[in-house]
Amino acid sequence: MKRGKGERTASQAFSDVVASHLGGETITLCYQCGTCASSCPVARVTPRFNPREVIKLSLLGEKDEVLSGNAIWLCCSCYNCQERCPQKVEIADVIYALRNIAVKEGNIPNIYSEFAAGLIDEGRIVPISKFLEKKRPDFGLPPIKPTGVDAVRKILAITGFDKIKHEKEDAL
Amino acid sequence: MKMNEVKVGVFLSDCGNQLSEILDFNALTNYVKGVSDVVLIKRSSEFWRGEGLRIIVDAVKRGKINRVVVAESLPKLSEVNIVRAVEEAGLNPYLVEVIDLKDHCAWPHRKTPKEATEKAKAMLLAATERAKLLEPIEKLEFPALKSALVIGGGIAGMQTSVDLADLGFEVNLVEKEPFLGGLAARAGRFFPTDDCAICIQSPASDVKAITHTSRKCVYRSGFTEIPNLKIFANSKVVGVEGVPGNYKVTIEKKPRYVNELKCVRCDLCTTVCPVEVPDKYNAKLKTRKAIYMITPNVHPPVYVIDESVCKFHDCSKCVEVCPTNAIELDQKNKRITLNVGSIIVATGFQEFDSSLIKEYHYGDYPDVITNLELARMIDGFGPTGGEIIKPSDRKLAKKIVMVQCVGSRDRRWNAYCSGICCMISLKHASLIKTAYPDVDVTVCYIDIRTTGREHEYYYERAREMGVKFVKGRPSEISWNPETGRLIVDVEDELLKRLLELDADLVVLAPAMVPAEGTKELAEILGLELDEDGFFKEYNAKLRPTETKLRGMYLCGGATFPKDAPTTSLHAHSAAIKAAKFLTTGKIVKDQRTAVVNEEYCGDCEFCPVTCPYGAISLEPTSEDHIVARISDLLCEGCGVCVGTCPLNAIELRHSRPNQMLAQMKALMSINGTSKPLILTICCSECGHTAVDSSGMAMMQYPANVRVMKVPCTGILQVHQFLEAFKAGAQGVMIVGCKSDGCHYEVGIQKAEKKVELAKILLKEYGIEPERLEMFNMVYIEGDKFTEAAQTMTERLQKFGKLQLMGGS
Repeated sequence: MKRGKGERTASQAFSDVVASHLGGETITLCYQCGTCASSCPVARVTPRFNPREVIKLSLLGEKDEVLSGNAIWLCCSCYNCQERCPQKVEIADVIYALRNIAVKEGNIPNIYSEFAAGLIDEGRIVPISKFLEKKRPDFGLPPIKPTGVDAVRKILAITGFDKIKHEKEDAL
Repeated sequence: MKMNEVKVGVFLSDCGNQLSEILDFNALTNYVKGVSDVVLIKRSSEFWRGEGLRIIVDAVKRGKINRVVVAESLPKLSEVNIVRAVEEAGLNPYLVEVIDLKDHCAWPHRKTPKEATEKAKAMLLAATERAKLLEPIEKLEFPALKSALVIGGGIAGMQTSVDLADLGFEVNLVEKEPFLGGLAARAGRFFPTDDCAICIQSPASDVKAITHTSRKCVYRSGFTEIPNLKIFANSKVVGVEGVPGNYKVTIEKKPRYVNELKCVRCDLCTTVCPVEVPDKYNAKLKTRKAIYMITPNVHPPVYVIDESVCKFHDCSKCVEVCPTNAIELDQKNKRITLNVGSIIVATGFQEFDSSLIKEYHYGDYPDVITNLELARMIDGFGPTGGEIIKPSDRKLAKKIVMVQCVGSRDRRWNAYCSGICCMISLKHASLIKTAYPDVDVTVCYIDIRTTGREHEYYYERAREMGVKFVKGRPSEISWNPETGRLIVDVEDELLKRLLELDADLVVLAPAMVPAEGTKELAEILGLELDEDGFFKEYNAKLRPTETKLRGMYLCGGATFPKDAPTTSLHAHSAAIKAAKFLTTGKIVKDQRTAVVNEEYCGDCEFCPVTCPYGAISLEPTSEDHIVARISDLLCEGCGVCVGTCPLNAIELRHSRPNQMLAQMKALMSINGTSKPLILTICCSECGHTAVDSSGMAMMQYPANVRVMKVPCTGILQVHQFLEAFKAGAQGVMIVGCKSDGCHYEVGIQKAEKKVELAKILLKEYGIEPERLEMFNMVYIEGDKFTEAAQTMTERLQKFGKLQLMGGS
């Protein structure tokens, strides 16, 4: 018998969407053993994130709950779960895929859209304050060079990253 | 009768006039009359039994005919009867050709009777042309020794040995360890009977101490004393030569350093032996001497010296005290040759190395143990006398956590479910709870699998006894140096709560993997392993204990982890299969094999590597080049070598290229429909029966579709597809088994490749490659065949008539 050749049905449509995104390919392998959850340092401190639950909800097609909630943004990308998963589900990568889908659908937490805006406008994620710039010589650090924001913008345009901000605005 | 004169008799069954409502039998009879070499035509309601069959037999007996063509329904059933009767009448059965005018013609074309009649003519012509070219095939006999080699002395090997020995065969049982019993002996108790693991069925010999119903420990079952059973412990198979029925097996017997005939088990040697080492058999929970026995009740009941630690002549204390002079420190490796007719592999399985799963720290923390190690503790004969202890400080374990699926259902190691570990853990949990009700036992599981008879009751009993269950696979086991206890991280999925279970003892339930040395043995025997490394059976559904090599069988855990009841079933099955093979002392087989034309053959190595049965060897000839030689004993007549040979130097005796070509031309010689002719080449296995089932269910497809049978699609060569077009086919369909379901292992895959290649060629020639198509189906997919025939017809109608340059 050939392994892993199951046929898809319409009810799995959402997991198909996830599986067709980069990083999401392995989602259907999950058999809910919970190794990820008990490996997860975030789940240890907050009940708001449980990787097993995120995967389960996705497999069940609970798209709205997954995409509009905060859970997928709480993963700290330590990859502990991915190392230990006995089914080789690339859990952290699946969560990246889910984040990408969420963004496409306009579900992006403010902090991330601020990061995106910073990158597009300034070429940096973390804004540089006047105070910090003044302090740098005290520590023997050279002044911060300009980022070459035009080049960054070009890359962001080619990769489609710049659309993230607009989509966010459209969605609002 | 002149020697080469061909006289064909054609027998048309109208199935009790059912067929004559569709087919014009007068037209058919008249047509066949005009076919050369046809000397007799008869029509009856049936020819495969009764009066009809007597007509055939009579014609054969009187020498009127020497080729028989029968158009009969249900040919796969009727052919057996017809062929048998013809053979009894004195004609070689391979000179008979049976076709099915009902399911291949009248039924599927019942709405177009005129077209069906024309197709029937073509079918009769094809059968007659083929029959004329058929040649007699002889029965061959090969001698087979009435003896067997059984490899592995666990329960599978012992049970199959008892069966074969009881049936009177000479049996040689080879066990690589110094003692029999295998993994089972270490398991202590078995589910679902809770009885001892070393208990086996007694031989059926008529001895005072043994009754038919005896079920006893190996050492007192009488098993070891069966006269026609030889046991070679501490031995392994190092070489196998020969063919089914006549294998020459070389085994290497390691020195035991104790004479089996002299030792009286007085135990003086172990008392004086100064070397003390951790006892691996007993999970290193106790020590043993350099001279030892694993447990008191084993076979052979003789000590063995561990040569890796013994000081031999520098010490010799055991030699000095032995009252029977049984200790022989100068014993050497011995090579023994055995001649056997059959080989049975019963090498079993072993625990997966849990230390590979780093986060469980097996091997780092002494209090993390495996199921087999726990089994030794539970065993009253074991190192702790039945007490469950923490190996680190040997104090009693009060809290035990069991972890399921360690290395199984784990795509990093073994993707499969080992199937028996849930039951082993439930058994252990219950045994612990029975003996020590106060001990806290928690089982962490992904899914509890208790699918066997009475197995669910183990789960029920465990819950009744207070065993706790946590649904969740632990992510990590850590050790708290302050408390000296273990911590198991697990999510209780049902509570959605992360737990940190503390434990004195963590018991892992490791996957069961192929026994050590499985790969090497498979190479020696020429057997295949599956992707998990277990021995591969011939057909999991129908021939679970057979291999594709006649004379070699498998049983027990060698094919997959098994519990004791299944292992017994398997062992008995292998024994009956081996007995069936050996019982007459000869192998009788039709010479339905491939034959090499040595004039053309030479110096390539394609066929030996392609043959699924290892039947082809390369041998040097006097003309200073090598040619292929085919073993009539090993060849199964599939024709994969024929399809592979680049020089057309190989032919099948029962399916020669000229026979196929004659059939092809005849089928394409009459159309009678307005549709483009399609030649369908089917394998004789699933492909042809799919056509049968489509006709039997009266599914309708057009009569331009003509069917020709070959043993396996693997026989086909690219030029044959082109010949079909040249013969007048507008399209060619190849119908074979499923890609992974070829009855000859690789034939369909070879055919698929050739179709791909032929398509490229067709394109080069300016012919639409879609005129050639491959289809895979099984018997029940008659609808798939009907659909394929219709689709192909429509497709070809769109393409229009095929123009071949210089073609006929």
